[in-house]
Amino acid sequence: MAEDFLQVERLCKRFGGLHAVRDVSFSVGRHEMVGLIGPNGAGKTTLVRLLLGILRADSGRVLFRGQNLLGKKPWEIVSQGLALTFQNARPFARLPVIANVMVSCLSPRASKRGEWVKKIESRAMDALEFAGIADMAREPASCLSQGDLKRLEVARAIACEPDLLILDEPFGGLSPTETGLMAKSLRRLHKGGRFGRLHSEGPAMIIIEHKLSELMKIVDRVIVINFGELLAVGTPEEIVANPQVIEAYIGKEVD
Amino acid sequence: MFAYLARKIWRDFQGEILALPTRTILFAAAVALLLLPLVTDDAYLLRIVATASIFAVYAASWDLLVGFSGQTTLGHSLFFGIAAYTAALLNLRFGLPAFLTIPAGALAAVLAGLLLSLPALRVRGPYFSLASLAMPIILMGLIFSFPGLTGGEMGLSGISRLAGTRTGEYYFLLISMFVLTLLMWKIATSRTALIFHAIREDEIVVRVSGINTTYYKILVFCCSGFFAGMAGSLYAHFLRVVGPSTLDIMMSLQVIIWGIFGGVVTIYGPVVGVFILYPLLEYLRIIPDWRMLIFAGIVVVTLRFMPEGISNKFQDLLERQCPRCKERNIFMRKECRICCTDIGTCSRVG
Ligand SMILES: Nc1ncnc2c1ncn2[C@@H]1O[C@H](COP(=O)(O)OP(=O)(O)O)[C@@H](O)[C@H]1O
Ligand SMILES: [Mg+2]
Repeated sequence: MAEDFLQVERLCKRFGGLHAVRDVSFSVGRHEMVGLIGPNGAGKTTLVRLLLGILRADSGRVLFRGQNLLGKKPWEIVSQGLALTFQNARPFARLPVIANVMVSCLSPRASKRGEWVKKIESRAMDALEFAGIADMAREPASCLSQGDLKRLEVARAIACEPDLLILDEPFGGLSPTETGLMAKSLRRLHKGGRFGRLHSEGPAMIIIEHKLSELMKIVDRVIVINFGELLAVGTPEEIVANPQVIEAYIGKEVD
Repeated sequence: MFAYLARKIWRDFQGEILALPTRTILFAAAVALLLLPLVTDDAYLLRIVATASIFAVYAASWDLLVGFSGQTTLGHSLFFGIAAYTAALLNLRFGLPAFLTIPAGALAAVLAGLLLSLPALRVRGPYFSLASLAMPIILMGLIFSFPGLTGGEMGLSGISRLAGTRTGEYYFLLISMFVLTLLMWKIATSRTALIFHAIREDEIVVRVSGINTTYYKILVFCCSGFFAGMAGSLYAHFLRVVGPSTLDIMMSLQVIIWGIFGGVVTIYGPVVGVFILYPLLEYLRIIPDWRMLIFAGIVVVTLRFMPEGISNKFQDLLERQCPRCKERNIFMRKECRICCTDIGTCSRVG
C-alpha cells in the first residue's frame, strides 16, 4: 500500500528566517503518478531536494519502503531507487550528450540492474532514444536547446533505473506540441514495459509542473503546497474545483 | 604465426598512430629521444632530457587531478616533495635500494593524496585551492623542525644512483616516463575518467546520478598522488640530493605553467609543455639576466595566440573532427576514415 512506498512525515526546512518547507506530510504509492503544484516560491523544488538528500532537512521523516532516507547521501538514496531531474537543466556541458547519461549508467544500481545489456553505451543510447534526443548523442551537451536539455535531464534520470522518478518542471521550455509528446512518453514510461532494450517496471512519479492543463491530464493525484505548507491533496478534479487552491494561484479577491 | 602478429601490429600501428598526424609527431619525438644517446654524448643535453622526463610525469599527474577532475590544487609539490624525501630517507637511513624506495615514495604520496582529499571533500573552489596551498608549506615546516633527520635547509645528499652509467639512467627515466604517462593516458580514457570529467563539470549532478563522489574524489587524489610521487622518487635518485626546493611553491606553480602551455585535459599536453619549456628555461641560462623575462615573454605570447595550449592548437591545425562520428582525421582528408562522411567543408575541431 501507499504507506509502504514513500511516506513523508512533518518535513521542515528553514533558510534563515524563511520557512521554505513547513510540516509537510504526504505519501505516494508504488503505482501512482502524483502532481506537485504550487505558486512560484512555494517550496516545491526545496521539498524534492530534501527527498534526494541534496539539502539537509531540519526535522521530519522520509520513509521509502520503510527505510528512513533523511541523513543519507544523494547517491545512497539513488541506489535505493529514487531519481530526480533538475528544474534548471544542469548538463555536463563539455561532455557529449551520451556521456551525460553514461554517468548514471555507471552508478551501482544501474549497472547491476541492466546486466544483460553489456555495453553501457547501448544502455545510455536507449535512455536517449526514449527521451527523443538519440540523434544528438555525440554532440557536446552545450549545443542542446532548452527543450532538449529537459529531455537530457529525463534521460539521465531514467538511466538511474528509478522506482520513484521525481521530475521538476519537465515541460519547462517545451513548445505545446513537445509538451504533449513528453507527457505521453512519461505516461507510457509509468505504465512500464519495454522501450527498445530498456525494460521498465514503470516507476512511480512525482511531477512538479506549472502547465496545469497538461499535468492534470496525466496524473492520478495532486498535492498542492503554498508558502511551504501543504494546502490540499486530491484528484485533479477535486483540486481544480478547490477554492483555496484557486485563491493561492490567482490571489485573494480584495473587497 | 610470427608474420601474422607482425602484420597485426603493423595494421594497429597504421590505424592508431599513422592515421593521425599529432600521434605520428609524438611517436617520432619518442623515437628521437630514444635514439638521442646514440648520436650525441652531450652530457648536459641528456641530463636535461632526463630531468624533463621526470617533470613530464609530474605535470601529467597534475593534469589528471586539475584538468580532468577540476580539483584546482595549488600545492601539487606536496606529492613530489613527500615522495622525494621518503625515497631519500629510506635510501640513506635504511639503505633500501632504488627499486624499493621508488614505490615507497609513491606510496607516501598516495597517503598524502588521501590527506589532501580531506579538505577537497569539504570545501570547493578557491577555498580548496588555498587549503592545498598550505599543505606543502606545513610539510616544509616539519622538515625544518627536524634538521637532524631531514637535513633541514641543506637537504639530504648521497642518495644512490638509478643506474651504473649515465646512458643507463637516461634510458631508465625515459622508459619510466613512457610507461607512466601511457598508464595515465589509459586511466584518462577509461570509464572512471568519465566520472572525473563529470565531477569537474557539476558535482551535485554526479551525486544525484547515483555516483559516490566521495569515493571517486579520493580515488583521483590517490591516483594523481601516485604518479606525482613516482616522479618525486625518481627525481631524488636522479639528482641524488633532495632539498626543501622540492616542496617549494615554485614547484606547484611551474607545473601549472607547463600544463596550461601544453594544453590541459589531454595528459600528453603537459608532457609536451614540459619538453618545450624546461629545456628552453635551461638553455636560457646563457643569458642569465634576461632569462626569466624572455621565458615569461614566450609563455605569454604563446598563450595569447593559442589559449587552449600548444598541443590542442596543433591538433586543430592538423586534424579535423568528423561531424558525424566525432572521430579525428588528418586535415587533408575529404571524407572520414571511419564512417566515410564528407568532411571537406566542415569546420575544424573545437
Ligand atoms: N538555497 C537557498 N537559500 C535560501 N533560500 C532559498 C534557497 N533555495 C530556495 N530558497 C527560497 O525558498 C523558497 C522556496 O523556493 P523553491 O523551493 O525553489 O520554490 P518553487 O520551486 O516552489 O518555486 C523561495 O522563497 C526561495 O527564495
Ligand atoms: Mg522550483
